[in-house]
Amino acid sequence: MTMNDAFDERLRAAFQAAQPGEDQADAFVKKVKAKMSSPMKKRVVILGGAGSTGSAIAGTQLESIFNAVQLPTEGWMASIATFASPEVMATSVLALMIGGFAFILPKRI
Amino acid sequence: MQASDEELVALVVATQDNNAFGELVRRHQGLIRGMMARMSRNRALAEDLAQDAFIRAFQKIGSFSGTGSFKSWLCKIAYNEFLMAARKRKATDKAMEKFKGEVDDTEMPRDMGNVVDLDRALATLKDDERTAVVLCYSCGMSHSEAAEATGMPLGTVKSHVNRGREKLKAFFETAEAVA
Repeated sequence: MTMNDAFDERLRAAFQAAQPGEDQADAFVKKVKAKMSSPMKKRVVILGGAGSTGSAIAGTQLESIFNAVQLPTEGWMASIATFASPEVMATSVLALMIGGFAFILPKRI
Repeated sequence: MQASDEELVALVVATQDNNAFGELVRRHQGLIRGMMARMSRNRALAEDLAQDAFIRAFQKIGSFSGTGSFKSWLCKIAYNEFLMAARKRKATDKAMEKFKGEVDDTEMPRDMGNVVDLDRALATLKDDERTAVVLCYSCGMSHSEAAEATGMPLGTVKSHVNRGREKLKAFFETAEAVA
């Protein structure tokens, strides 16, 4: 501990007096709370940008991938293939990816 | 009855309650803002650093073990935030030099013994001495807590506090004699 002579008491009092007053407390608390509610703006922008770019690039490749797939002629996969063209499947995958980003981005690390 | 700091921390950890944390901010904002102002010697920078320190505390509040006081834990986080900000300005030493050049002279002098400005007195200390003095006298940390917060050996902290204290005492006595 620090010493406890008269000078120490004066020094502590001086530090105490140098602290900002309670009158500014509300404004400060508001600022901190505002930052707390949106602390990840930068992260959302960066991850969102990276995710969107990646999704767009992947999306351009998906259609050719689905075109090359040998679809089964019976079973539930065949039923899906009957109604879903490669474009629809590519769109579905993209929607899933976007949904994933929308789910993950608001969460804190 | 008013909830203790520890009870509020438990509430924040359990429920991420912003209002409970807001109450902790309200209780300790003066301490942390004052500490940052004394360390950085720049009021605008100190306000930003204090806000960042509370945000960091909110993010790390689960790591508060309750073995020491919440105040000391918060001061330690604030000190680390100050150091990180200084490192962002390349090297800590250069940053401290930069801060030295940015003393906020617009601030009204505050009296100690009706004469002297505490910030000007602190400006006469070396960086480590000022850090040790601020942590011990402003935050109320013990020498051991200050040593743990800064990573300095206990003996070094004691030396810095004693040397800093003597310099401040000499500064105030000289100023009062002149006045």
